[in-house]
Amino acid sequence: MIRKTIVIVNKLGMHARPATLIVKAASKYRSDFRIIKEDMEINGKSIMGVMTLAAEYGSELELVADGVDEEFLIKEIAELFASKFGEE
Amino acid sequence: MKKISVEEFCRTKKKDFSLSVITNPKTLEKDITSQYLNRPGLAFAGYFERFAYKRIQILGETEISYLQSLKEEDQYNSIKEVLVYDIPCIIVTKGLSLPQQMEFLANEMNIPLLSSRLTTDKLYHSLRKYLGEVFSPSKTIHGSLLDVFGVGILLTGKSGIGKSECALDLVERGRCLVTDDVVKIFAQEDVLFGTSTNEYGHFMEVRGVGLIDVEKMFGIQAVRKQKRIDVQIELMPWKDTMDYERIGLGDNFVDILGVKIPIIYLPVSPGKNVAVVIEVVAMNHILKLYGYDAAKVYTQKLQKDLQKKAKLRHASIEGGE
Repeated sequence: MIRKTIVIVNKLGMHARPATLIVKAASKYRSDFRIIKEDMEINGKSIMGVMTLAAEYGSELELVADGVDEEFLIKEIAELFASKFGEE
Repeated sequence: MKKISVEEFCRTKKKDFSLSVITNPKTLEKDITSQYLNRPGLAFAGYFERFAYKRIQILGETEISYLQSLKEEDQYNSIKEVLVYDIPCIIVTKGLSLPQQMEFLANEMNIPLLSSRLTTDKLYHSLRKYLGEVFSPSKTIHGSLLDVFGVGILLTGKSGIGKSECALDLVERGRCLVTDDVVKIFAQEDVLFGTSTNEYGHFMEVRGVGLIDVEKMFGIQAVRKQKRIDVQIELMPWKDTMDYERIGLGDNFVDILGVKIPIIYLPVSPGKNVAVVIEVVAMNHILKLYGYDAAKVYTQKLQKDLQKKAKLRHASIEGGE
C-alpha cells in the first residue's frame, strides 16, 4: 500500500471533468484506490465518490493505492493533479 | 430513385382515397416518382413557367369550374396543352364530373385519370402523408424497438447479447413492443419512425424456447405497430477498456438516415437488470426534454460549492497572515 499527499492546484477545483478524468484513469488499474479528504474517505474509482469530496482549489488530498500496480496508479493520478487537468 | 406505379397505388389505396379509374387500364402503367402534389390551375390558364408536371395533378372544383367556363374549343386546347406534358397521374376530387374531352385526351395521351370521392383538402393531406411515407428514405436495422413511457427506444447490439430477452423483460414490466429482431426505419421531416417489416404480428424468438406471440401472451396493451424513435441504446459486453459514460454531460449522437438521435452505449454483464436501466434512460430523456438535466444540475451545484469553499479558504489564509 502506498500513500501520497497532493494539493489541488487548478483554480476550479475538482469539478465534474477532472473527477471523470481521475476515475477513468484509476479504473484502468487493478489496485484499490481511495482518496481521503479530512474525515472523508471515498472510493477513487467511483465518480459520485470523487465528486462528493468537493475538493476545492488549495485543499489537500491523500491518495491511497493498494494492489499489484499501486505505484503506476499513484504516479498517473498524481501527474493528473499536477497537470491541473489542462486547466488554469 | 423510389417510385410506385399508378396501378399499385390504385390497388393498395383504392379504399383509403375512394378512388375509381376513369381512363382505360393500360394508362395505369405509369410511375409516380414525386411525393409532392400540384394544382394545375395556372397551367390550364396558359401559364407553364415552373409547371410541376412530374407530380400528381389534383383537380378540384376551382380547376373544373374554370374549364367548364371556357368555350368548347378553348377548353379542348387548354386541356390538351396540359396533357402533352408527361404527367404521372391526374386525380379529380369530390367525384366531380369532367369536361367530356378530358377523358378522351387522357386516354389519347396515355395519362391515368382517376376520380376520388374525397374533398380536395382531405385528399391533398392524406395523399401527401401517404406519399411522404412511400418516398421517405428507409432502411432496416438489426434490433428491437420498444415504447418505454412514450419514449421510442431502439435496442441494438451483437447477436446473442440479449436484446430480445431485454425486450421481453420490458414487456413483462408493462412496456410496449413495436418489433423484435428487424426494425424498418423511415425518416420523415427529421423524425425517425420504426415499424415491423411484415404484417404477421408481434412474434419474437426467445433463445432456448423458440417463437412466442407477444400479443397473445401479454395482451394488446403490450404491443404497438409503429413508434417514433427517440433514443438508441447499444448493448455491449462489459469491457474494462471501454470508456463508458460516467456523468452524462456530453451526449453521443448517431446518424440514422440523416437524422441525429442520442445513443447510449450500455455495458451488460450477467445478473445486471438492463430493463430497469432502459426505463431510467427513457425517464431521463423525458426529464431532459422538459428542461431538467440531472448531470448539469449536479455539476453546477458542485461547481458553486467549490468556488465558495475556495473563497473561504483564501480568506482564512489572508486573515491568518
